[in-house]
Amino acid sequence: MIGAIQEFANRLLGRGDAAIAVPTFDGALKSNQKLEEAETILECAAPEDLATDGRSIYLADGPRLLRLDRDQATEVRRFDRPISALAFLADGGLAAALTGKEVQVFSEPSAPKPHAVFSTGLNAVNALAPALDGTLVATDGSAAYGVEDWARDLLESRRTGRLLSLDPATGATTTLASGLGFAFGARATGDEVLVSESWKHRLIAVARDGSTRITLPHLPVYPSRLSPATGGGHWLTAFVARSLLVEFVLREPAYRKRMMAEIDPQYWIAPRLRSGLSFKEPLQGAHIKTMGVVKPWAPPRSYGLVIRLDASGAPLYSLHSRVDGTNHGVVAAVERDGDLIMIAKGPGRILKLPIAPLDREFGA
Amino acid sequence: MSDDIVLSLSKATKLYAGVPAIDGVDFDLRRGEIHALVGENGAGKSTLTKVMAGVVTLTSGTMRVDGVPISPQSPLEARHLGIAMVFQENSLVPTMTVAQNLFLGQERFYNRLRGIYIAAQQFLQSLNFDVTPTATVGALGAAKKQMVEIARAVLHKAKVIIFDEPTASLTPEEKKYFFDLVRDLQKRGVSIVFISHALEEALALADRITVLRDGKKVVTDDASKFDRARIVQAMVGRDLSHTLYGVRKTTVRKAGSRVLVVQNLKMAPMVKNNSLSVFAGQITGVFGLVGAGRTETFKIVSGVLKRDFFYGGEIFLHDKPVRFRVPAPAVTAGVAYVTEDRKVEGFFETASIARNIYLGLLAKFPGGRTLLSRKEANAVGSDWVKALNVRAIGDEAKVVELSGGNQQKVVIAKSLVQDPELIIFDEPTRGVDVGAIVEIHELINRLADEGKAVVVISSYLPEIMALSDRILVSRQGKVVEEFSALEATEEKIMYAAIH
Repeated sequence: MIGAIQEFANRLLGRGDAAIAVPTFDGALKSNQKLEEAETILECAAPEDLATDGRSIYLADGPRLLRLDRDQATEVRRFDRPISALAFLADGGLAAALTGKEVQVFSEPSAPKPHAVFSTGLNAVNALAPALDGTLVATDGSAAYGVEDWARDLLESRRTGRLLSLDPATGATTTLASGLGFAFGARATGDEVLVSESWKHRLIAVARDGSTRITLPHLPVYPSRLSPATGGGHWLTAFVARSLLVEFVLREPAYRKRMMAEIDPQYWIAPRLRSGLSFKEPLQGAHIKTMGVVKPWAPPRSYGLVIRLDASGAPLYSLHSRVDGTNHGVVAAVERDGDLIMIAKGPGRILKLPIAPLDREFGA
Repeated sequence: MSDDIVLSLSKATKLYAGVPAIDGVDFDLRRGEIHALVGENGAGKSTLTKVMAGVVTLTSGTMRVDGVPISPQSPLEARHLGIAMVFQENSLVPTMTVAQNLFLGQERFYNRLRGIYIAAQQFLQSLNFDVTPTATVGALGAAKKQMVEIARAVLHKAKVIIFDEPTASLTPEEKKYFFDLVRDLQKRGVSIVFISHALEEALALADRITVLRDGKKVVTDDASKFDRARIVQAMVGRDLSHTLYGVRKTTVRKAGSRVLVVQNLKMAPMVKNNSLSVFAGQITGVFGLVGAGRTETFKIVSGVLKRDFFYGGEIFLHDKPVRFRVPAPAVTAGVAYVTEDRKVEGFFETASIARNIYLGLLAKFPGGRTLLSRKEANAVGSDWVKALNVRAIGDEAKVVELSGGNQQKVVIAKSLVQDPELIIFDEPTRGVDVGAIVEIHELINRLADEGKAVVVISSYLPEIMALSDRILVSRQGKVVEEFSALEATEEKIMYAAIH
């Protein structure tokens, strides 16, 4: 009862959860254009996820599994459906999620048949990661919509994401956490699993007993996949930044309902992986461009961000592609031989940045 | 005496309590010239101009207007002689409208308000001033108040107009506009005396420059024969040009813990969804044009102003949500705000230095104190006068008797005595001489080195760039861009501030 009164008061006064507030990019998240300075090593149609076996980088591009050796791409295998997530297990096996509805585990990337298949109860598996006990952890973003329909899930303010444990040895699927605001990205660390909760703009740590604690709250972005960083810590990608306009629309259910019913999804007031392609986009005019110059600090419809986190989950520095950039919609980042390889899904690019100069520049 | 001289002073001396504010100064103003008066605070510039405007009278010496010896006993008498003064702290009546202020002192037996507004509108339009005559002056920004002051002087058909720090509160665009206006007045044959601490302005605008130091004239010469270094040397007797704004930062302090977070702060119509953070051990510079909502944002943080009640945003101090409705709890929580308008908000001008600083200390006690100690007040005052090098006859000197720079030091001491964690300096060197600027800058740097979270709000770009470790650029009520001091350039900052 008190909670309901509190919520009513918050909605009336615009406080607490009802405050239309977006944190700023400052401190370790201070904006720069590092992603725009990154080298493009490959352009492809539908890049989705990266994984490494310690020697090579593997790339999911639509239904194709590619191996990147010295920036050259070789097709390893082709699935009958698009790959939505990719991971290597500790024993060298490869796990691939297909359209989010099925996870296949192979003994090696080119093995002809999977030795384990998980398909029951999966809907939008968007990230996979190996756990220390030989199992896989997977994030299932939404119980209502598929992996590509994430904007609808956001606009309907759904909280149906799950963190799952998949055991290739037994074929068992265990739910570690549920009711998550679009779980998108996980990394097992010791007894806990670090999970990105995109719609709640935070990272949480889920313990084996299912208890959760918030490790990185109030992000100005929608966080996504995690990967290990050399020297401890993690790389966290964010596929889009928050904007006041979207936050405002998220407080207006009637408006959203009508918008989703009547407007082409391409032009919804919702985050996108790329923008600036059409005059029909909702953010226009002097908000974005003045005297022919796109303002980097304009409200972002699409954005690119990779955050270097320390072992405790605190940000050390960040790499940005701002509103005036093009390398937006960064959904995966993996280290290889001192370089950071990233997917900018918006323009369909695979990017490379050497890490040592970044560590030096940011004093990490 | 030449016909060319409209106003002159010879061996002008003014004593305050036996101490000379100006001492045997010779000064002459030619017809239709722009004459800049420069000097450190306490050099006697304001006193000299106040003598001309009839605000104070000379202790000894002679003043001549058009060759006739005269000693105006009041500003009204000076105005009748054709001498008008636009004060540094404007002298408008805040509760009256612009039009009423313009015609103040010229009222007739029967005044038709509509007629006054129409006349004011026509007059302001003739000067190309974008000021609404029906607006209440108290609601105007500093720049518009300045315009009203100038308009009033022009309206009174002054042949000599004296400006005391005319550009201190103006944006770069407004300054350019002001310069054009002054040149236009010059073309009409009006002689201009203006005091400025911005030496580039004096060099750009003036025909001749007079430098004062310690109440005495050092030199008067054509502006073309001066450069910045020569003026500074004449002003302070030492070369300070490289210790102020000349040196570009090569290192910045690393950010400490996040002390202040402001999220979507709103106070219509000035602050619009403003979000920013301030870190310990760093100087965060906040730049913006007039009306960018910088001062208002930090006044809300420090409880001087209130945010909007509905959807007003949130403030976190050390990660805890706070909402200060009055300044006292903010002071207790370790937030100090050093005001931009020291005369109105900074101190009690008739109280002593020690008393003013002691008041700052008392503000830390939420319920106040029943017993006050004169001894403690004097001890605290004396310590801070020494620590900040406040130059005064004694600790018991009234603040009104101090120069601008020393008054500013008292205002700063009043806040620092509270031992704050977050110190917000709003235009810390406005109306302050170059010598005191160096001291205040050193103090601000020292505070950041000690680990305090320091915010410096300034409209003067070189100051922001010289002091800040990170620079936030504010535009139309919110922070739009952040620069590290290492990457910032004046062009980048101005672009963000304007677009």
